[in-house]
Amino acid sequence: MAEMTADISPKDLSGSEIITAREAGFLLCHDCHKLIADKGEDTPERCPRCEAAIHRRKPNSITRTWALVLTAVVLSFPANMLPIMRVDFLGTADYSTIMDGIIYFFQTGSYGIGAVILTASILVPGFKIIGIVLILLSIHFKWKTWLRHKTLLFRAIEFIGRWSMLDIFVIALLQTLVSFGNLTSIETAVAATYFTGVVLSTMFAAITFDPRLLWDA
Amino acid sequence: MSTLRAHISDLLACPDCDLLLEHKHIEHGEKACCPRCGHVLHAPKRNSVDKTLALALTGLLLFIPANFMPIMTLDTMGFMQAGSIFDGIRVIYESGYLFVALMVALTSFAFPLVKLSLLFYVSLHLKLKRYPHDLPLFMRLYKHLDEWGMLEVYMVGILVAIIKLHHMAHIHYDFGFFCFIGLLFVALASSVSMDEHEFWQRIEDRSV
Repeated sequence: MAEMTADISPKDLSGSEIITAREAGFLLCHDCHKLIADKGEDTPERCPRCEAAIHRRKPNSITRTWALVLTAVVLSFPANMLPIMRVDFLGTADYSTIMDGIIYFFQTGSYGIGAVILTASILVPGFKIIGIVLILLSIHFKWKTWLRHKTLLFRAIEFIGRWSMLDIFVIALLQTLVSFGNLTSIETAVAATYFTGVVLSTMFAAITFDPRLLWDA
Repeated sequence: MSTLRAHISDLLACPDCDLLLEHKHIEHGEKACCPRCGHVLHAPKRNSVDKTLALALTGLLLFIPANFMPIMTLDTMGFMQAGSIFDGIRVIYESGYLFVALMVALTSFAFPLVKLSLLFYVSLHLKLKRYPHDLPLFMRLYKHLDEWGMLEVYMVGILVAIIKLHHMAHIHYDFGFFCFIGLLFVALASSVSMDEHEFWQRIEDRSV
């Protein structure tokens, strides 16, 4: 089983001379993390353990991530400028954007909850978009510094991605509970669709991005 | 330069930075991190299969009441309005926002259910030492769905809604509320107890 082994100097494994799986002639399965010998043309197309498609790096990672992050930027405008919620009170309709909702919490003294919504709906999506763009630019211009921190930034982006759905869940609950006919009711408004689109495209941007590309540069 | 011929099974690579590393045995409760980028490579859990099986089963039992029983009732001047998690999906669908309704349905309902079912199916078969050919497929599906189940985000959403509404109405907490909290903790615990590395190794070895 000669092809199952690799020549590696003991120094490499102690970490003083960095060697990557790619340099040593190995591939890593994206799904089950099995190490597979890279035999060029003869490499199996599917992982022998989990049958996932095998790639040296995620296919078209940079292009796909740019496309998704730009989609998120475009969708952010209607998501923040259009109303996300309609409150009917005794026959008068009042529309509010995400920011209006946050300002309302701060004005009525609910600072904690205002801060939570501000973080989940404005800061987290903003952080995700700026962070991914920074990482993509860093690869494009081959900036080789702060690699560990940029990887950490990417892991943070992956981790917080889902929390942006918070505002949508709150509106779903409010619409369910506050429906007292003509007296008062709360309804979802048009920005909810765009906002959900922002969450979806930023989450997919994190999925299509391959952090190993930072280290390849 | 002296070289050693390392066998592929003694090596592993960091999924975040591709650093090639030697496989070292680590004890339960310890974790192995990548020395270059800090990625957690492996954190073995004690009795991973048993715990995951028990937690996934508990989660499945709590699932129906947590999603279909009312979580709370709002009482404003004698007008009562109760709502469940499932109602939240229905009302958004009825007001015409299909995409939003679909995303809420998937992330708060369908994906958590599928995740628990997959964990139950896989850990039950590993427990019984049976290895049907679809286990790897279900393991992969679980990995891809992992971040799309958003029960804990929904829980924070419930808290925000409570704080927003408690000024204007009296809130009664219903049975579904407590089932949902239970479901949330069980679902979180099940994904923590699942030791991916051990599960894959067992599937590959078809023994232990």
